[in-house]
Amino acid sequence: MLDFQRYQLAFTAHIRNPKLHAKPANVVEKRMSVYRESVFNNIFESVSVCFPVCQNVLGKRKWRHLIRNFVANYSAISPFFREIPQQFLAFLENITDLPSYLKPLAHYEWIELAISSQQTRPLSTQQTLNTQLNCMDDVITLAPASALLAYDYPVHKISKRFKPAAIEKTYLLVFRNTSFEVKFIVLNPVTFNLLSLTQSQPLTGRLALTTLANELQHPDLDLFMRFGAEILHDLCKQQAITLSQNTLDINIPQ
Amino acid sequence: MASLADIKGVGLGLKRELIPQIQNLYIEASQQDLSIHDSLIANINFVEIAPENWINAGGKAEADLAWFVERYPIVCHGLCLSLGGPDPLNKHFLKQVKQFLSVNKIPLYTEHLSYCTDNYQGKTGYLYDLLPIPFTEEAVKYVAQRIRQTQDILGQHIAVENASFYAAAPISTMDEITFLKAVLQEADCWLHLDINNIYVNSVNFAHKQDPIKLAQDFLRKIPAERIIYSHIAGHYQQSPTLLIDTHGKDVIDPVWDLLDTAYQLFGTFPTLLERDNNIPPLPALMREVNKIAAYQAHYQNNLAAPQDSTLATC
Repeated sequence: MLDFQRYQLAFTAHIRNPKLHAKPANVVEKRMSVYRESVFNNIFESVSVCFPVCQNVLGKRKWRHLIRNFVANYSAISPFFREIPQQFLAFLENITDLPSYLKPLAHYEWIELAISSQQTRPLSTQQTLNTQLNCMDDVITLAPASALLAYDYPVHKISKRFKPAAIEKTYLLVFRNTSFEVKFIVLNPVTFNLLSLTQSQPLTGRLALTTLANELQHPDLDLFMRFGAEILHDLCKQQAITLSQNTLDINIPQ
Repeated sequence: MASLADIKGVGLGLKRELIPQIQNLYIEASQQDLSIHDSLIANINFVEIAPENWINAGGKAEADLAWFVERYPIVCHGLCLSLGGPDPLNKHFLKQVKQFLSVNKIPLYTEHLSYCTDNYQGKTGYLYDLLPIPFTEEAVKYVAQRIRQTQDILGQHIAVENASFYAAAPISTMDEITFLKAVLQEADCWLHLDINNIYVNSVNFAHKQDPIKLAQDFLRKIPAERIIYSHIAGHYQQSPTLLIDTHGKDVIDPVWDLLDTAYQLFGTFPTLLERDNNIPPLPALMREVNKIAAYQAHYQNNLAAPQDSTLATC
């Protein structure tokens, strides 16, 4: 290693953790503090803006301490500022003294950013967002930028006043509409299963519903299909799912 | 395809807040059947973006970028290449930059003469800030080699910016201008001249000398033939002897004077207004953009130095 690099590494080691690493000899303290504060504040801002609820739930002091720890001990590998929160999420994985709902909450807060910047291909000509196609007879796929998520806690309800004590399975669909807004829909377990089915293979609405009704051994198939069709229609109207023509003649129900 | 020759006149740093304001002006102009060249933003010839904020940005950002690519020549001004960093250059990232420049028809990529990564606990770590490179012979050779490597990978020349800094490295064996000139020479790259940074560094390291004289002296030693592009910006005065390069305030008079001197010494060159914090509405920014244009017009028309009174009304 070259001399000037030894100096540079002493400089950054001190910025990361001033308590553990002294500043390089003969650097003016007042000037060194400009860098300490600038690096920490940049990262603090980039992380905090993505996780307002985590910050609120933990309280200012613990939150600051957590980000100090992140700056001191985590090697961020992405040159993209947008990916600082994702790297913070990875850092949280190895933190043990957090409330059990905090990591799911952090993921839930991060996913909004992830979906807003998710790269997508333009919809194919056979795929359409309008509702002229029939959600029972056409193939259903989730919106191009979307995530179907299952959490152990009701992450969307957590606040300073509501910190969940017990596990409560929570299902969410997060998607970006054509106006680039990120929307969240809370799903019941049946709708979650329905959408999960359409993710694993191309299915028409009718076949997805029939398959699910069979799995659930639902006593009233007609009623189940009617409700299911309403749900799919509604999801389609919100642009949470897209339809494409069933050109492959797949899924003809028996 | 925008070429380097299209980066001319005055530019504005493209911030997300400004995008709807600019787009609305286009809508208004078209409704009134007017050209954008007759609007408030007539003097914006090009815009600048940080590739780190726009590569793979998806969604709205992708659509906005496409809108600007259609209408403006663009400069990429990088933040995280870490030309002075101790770890190997991030070649994967550089290839993404290359692709991004090509897809979006961006003719110029510039970076800072600084570093933003370390090698912490055996791993590359980004610190997302502009950290100072000590001014030593070794550092000149090292940084110049990395600039050449960058130019090889991109297949084009880059420009490096004279960075602002706050802490002098006690191990430095030369002053900033000597370091800068040596790097430019050794790397055979262009200079992205930051006018405000000259002033900020002159105040920060004046040691009781006159910072304006120091800044003027620095400017006079710049190798004119390497200047391809420049920045002007405001800064924050933390104390009379410490300026922080925040790009969060209006440009101050001594910095305008430096721009004036630079045009006088070297002729005009494309100049961009940077504003990254406390961003005022577009009409306020345009007063500064127009002021740059007025300085350029004076020197391009071979007239005497502009009077303050004429510039104040631009």
